[in-house]
Amino acid sequence: MPNKSDDILEEYSNKEYEFGFVTDIEMEVAPKGLSEETIHFISAKKGEPQWLLDWRLKAYQSFLKQPEPHWQNFELPKVDFQDISYYAAPKSGAKYKSLDEVDPELIATFEKLGIPLSEQKILAGVAVDAVFDSVSVATTYKETLKEHGIIFCSISEAVKEHSELVQKYLGTVVPHSDNLYAALNAAVFSDGSFVYIPKGVRCPMELSTYFRINTENTGQFERTLIIADEGSYVSYLEGCTAPKRDENQLHAAVVELIAMENAEIKYSTVQNWYPGDKEGNGGIYNFVTKRGVCRGAHAKISWTQVETGSAITWKYPSVILQGDYSTGEFYSVAVTKNKQIADTGTKMFHIGKGTKSRIISKGISAGEGQNSYRGLVQVSAKAENARNFTQCDSLLIGDRCGAHTFPYIESKNSSATIEHEATTSKIGEDQIFYLNQRGIDTEKAVALIVNGYAKEVLNQLPMEFAVEAQKLLSISLEGSVG
Amino acid sequence: MITTTSLYDQLTSLYKEKRNDTESAWLSNLREDAFKAFTRNGFPTTKQEDWRFTNIAPFLKEDFLLHPGEASLHSSKKAGSIPQFDAHEIVLKNGMLNEDVTIPGISISPLRTALKDERFKSYLSKHIPLNAQPMAALNTAMFEHGIVIEADKNIIADKPIHVTYIYNAAEPVFVQPRLLIIANKSSKLQVVESLLIMGESPIFINSVTECYVAENAQADHYVLQVTPPNVRWVNFNQTIQSADSLYNNYTYTLPGGLLFRNNIHLDLNGTNTESHLYGLYLTGPGQLTDNHTCVNHLNPNCFSNELYKGVLMRDSRAVFNGKIFVQQDAQKTNAFQQNNNMLLSNNAIIDSKPQLEIFADDVKCSHGSTVGNFNDEALFYLKARGIGDVAARNLLVNAFAFDVTNKIQVPAVQEYVEKIITQKMAEAYD
Repeated sequence: MPNKSDDILEEYSNKEYEFGFVTDIEMEVAPKGLSEETIHFISAKKGEPQWLLDWRLKAYQSFLKQPEPHWQNFELPKVDFQDISYYAAPKSGAKYKSLDEVDPELIATFEKLGIPLSEQKILAGVAVDAVFDSVSVATTYKETLKEHGIIFCSISEAVKEHSELVQKYLGTVVPHSDNLYAALNAAVFSDGSFVYIPKGVRCPMELSTYFRINTENTGQFERTLIIADEGSYVSYLEGCTAPKRDENQLHAAVVELIAMENAEIKYSTVQNWYPGDKEGNGGIYNFVTKRGVCRGAHAKISWTQVETGSAITWKYPSVILQGDYSTGEFYSVAVTKNKQIADTGTKMFHIGKGTKSRIISKGISAGEGQNSYRGLVQVSAKAENARNFTQCDSLLIGDRCGAHTFPYIESKNSSATIEHEATTSKIGEDQIFYLNQRGIDTEKAVALIVNGYAKEVLNQLPMEFAVEAQKLLSISLEGSVG
Repeated sequence: MITTTSLYDQLTSLYKEKRNDTESAWLSNLREDAFKAFTRNGFPTTKQEDWRFTNIAPFLKEDFLLHPGEASLHSSKKAGSIPQFDAHEIVLKNGMLNEDVTIPGISISPLRTALKDERFKSYLSKHIPLNAQPMAALNTAMFEHGIVIEADKNIIADKPIHVTYIYNAAEPVFVQPRLLIIANKSSKLQVVESLLIMGESPIFINSVTECYVAENAQADHYVLQVTPPNVRWVNFNQTIQSADSLYNNYTYTLPGGLLFRNNIHLDLNGTNTESHLYGLYLTGPGQLTDNHTCVNHLNPNCFSNELYKGVLMRDSRAVFNGKIFVQQDAQKTNAFQQNNNMLLSNNAIIDSKPQLEIFADDVKCSHGSTVGNFNDEALFYLKARGIGDVAARNLLVNAFAFDVTNKIQVPAVQEYVEKIITQKMAEAYD
């Protein structure tokens, strides 16, 4: 068995990135470098109002003032912010009315990824706001959503058409000065999605955006803003794959969620960006700031993420539980292999009375992958009867990988109940043996065990996504026998 | 005697003054390195991750004497602060060992005498991460008194060794005791440390204990932090275990002193070791108790278990940070850690951070941390049986602490600790 597993490990670690290809579409790219001029350029290019330009410039100033963070559990590669082009848009920048007008090569790219826009409309009932690099090129199902009064569009469109809403909420959850990368995002964000669900409306379909990084040396700075007004519900899906690339690409997105009284937002992510080759060259740096706030009573925000890609994943989707009896959830599966690094987790701020949070984090490390869970559960003095449950488990495959947990638990209220537990182990030989005995080969046994291990999180994903995530997980785990 | 405004200046000038001391070269080199490590950043601040929740600055503002006055201690003869405790008593008055203690097979000697022997070069500060631990570095650079307890090969101590530190705090004083425990091959010993303070001025204790547990040896180490309110205590404890050894650490911090910071570091330097770290902290009004533990699994087949329990009363604060490192070679490691806290008041604050860093795959590691209050159902059950509210709560606190107190292997010490818990809990409801 040792030999066999070595072979499989070898094969596994040699596995090339399956979705690596480059689409050739003419791009309009801003010259490299970051300065106030760049920001003026982006803002002018997108025809933005003065308030947004001012906000971007303020963010840029705070970006300049902030030092690089040094608390993370990995060596932060030096990012040359001047070597990045901050704007890229497909040259035929005009909006498309129907799919026929969309560049056929673009459609082909999506099809290779298994997300044929045209079929998806019928089969899955999913409205897709596809972001091809930075500018939205196709938005479907808009009409259906319009009937319900739901606004689902690119953020640049929202700035033009719903300026007052954007101005009211943008930067209220993740301020422009929040951290270095959030400040950078605020200064140069190119596009992203905007969702507004009016009072009492239950969004009739899953909203979804596929992100895709395409132009060489273009960091993507997406900004997503979702507002669920009183008593509304929305489920939002984010998924990404990126073409193979040898140069590191920086992705510093910001996601802000706002849930009013009795509203619920469910945000799901499947992330499968290029992780670099097995020596750790290339790969995406995924430095994301995600935060939601439960503004009103009984509001709920739920984050679910499946992280299999990126050279470095660095994000902590958080929930500020401001409203009384509001709920925050975080479900995560993070897989690292080769030299991948994932430093992820969540923060739950219990401020309102009777607030509840639940954290389930499953880390799987293989090869030389490093997986860190970093979390904060903070109960303020006024959060009577706050309740938290945290479970973070790690599975180790191979003797060169690492699993780390850094949970911070802070309570200032005596009526709060907080539970935290974490375990680390490898796949038991007895478990594999049991399955072998029943005619299941070792590889399938591992996939079975790992899928079972991650089930608690995968179950949280919407149907369409769960299938993709399961597929992704088993591809990632092929041959990973410990 | 120097009494300048800043303790830092006071310490640095004292250090420079003493540089031409008659110590052996290796020791003065070590002190020099330690001094550099301390002066690099000075006293720890809340900007440092390890000291994020514990601000010692307000406690360093006194006009400290660096040598406690020696008068007024003669009245207190033997320690004997623990009733019916049958032990070899060692009394350190203001850090100094004044009388000879003879225990068969175990040598007790003043540190300064012992350190003339080159042999101790391989023990003293050999494993303390001086650069990361400014307080331990300061102690290493400047400690004056202390003792070495060394058990010879194959010796099993007949009775526990009780080390009582007696300090005169008639005036504010800053002291740095140092203890070196060596359990040689296949020996077994129990050391109990406790403190007795005369006088009511603030006393800041910056202590370092190093404990070497050789092959097949066993050491039980008790630190009883039962103190009056004028005590502030930063304690660094470094233990190194060799193969097949057993080490038990019991750190009990009870209401009294305003600041306690315990750093318990454990390096598992051999295979097949077993270690238990037990901690109990009851924090009283105005008190801050901070326990930082670090278990470093360097070798295969080791077992470590850690259980820290805390009860926080009004206006108090506790910090727990437990680290477990499992290095790449440490396969077949079993490491467990648990931290449970009871918050008895809304004015109490707990910061708990259990932490695992694992680089080996064939391991079983887990940690758990909880924060809660009295179980209403349990309270109701007791009250329904005619037990009053306060009595019921006391019962539940005692039951909560029992998990840790019943681990004490010396009955007299166990009784002593349990008695103080009951007494302090009764005061809490007055």
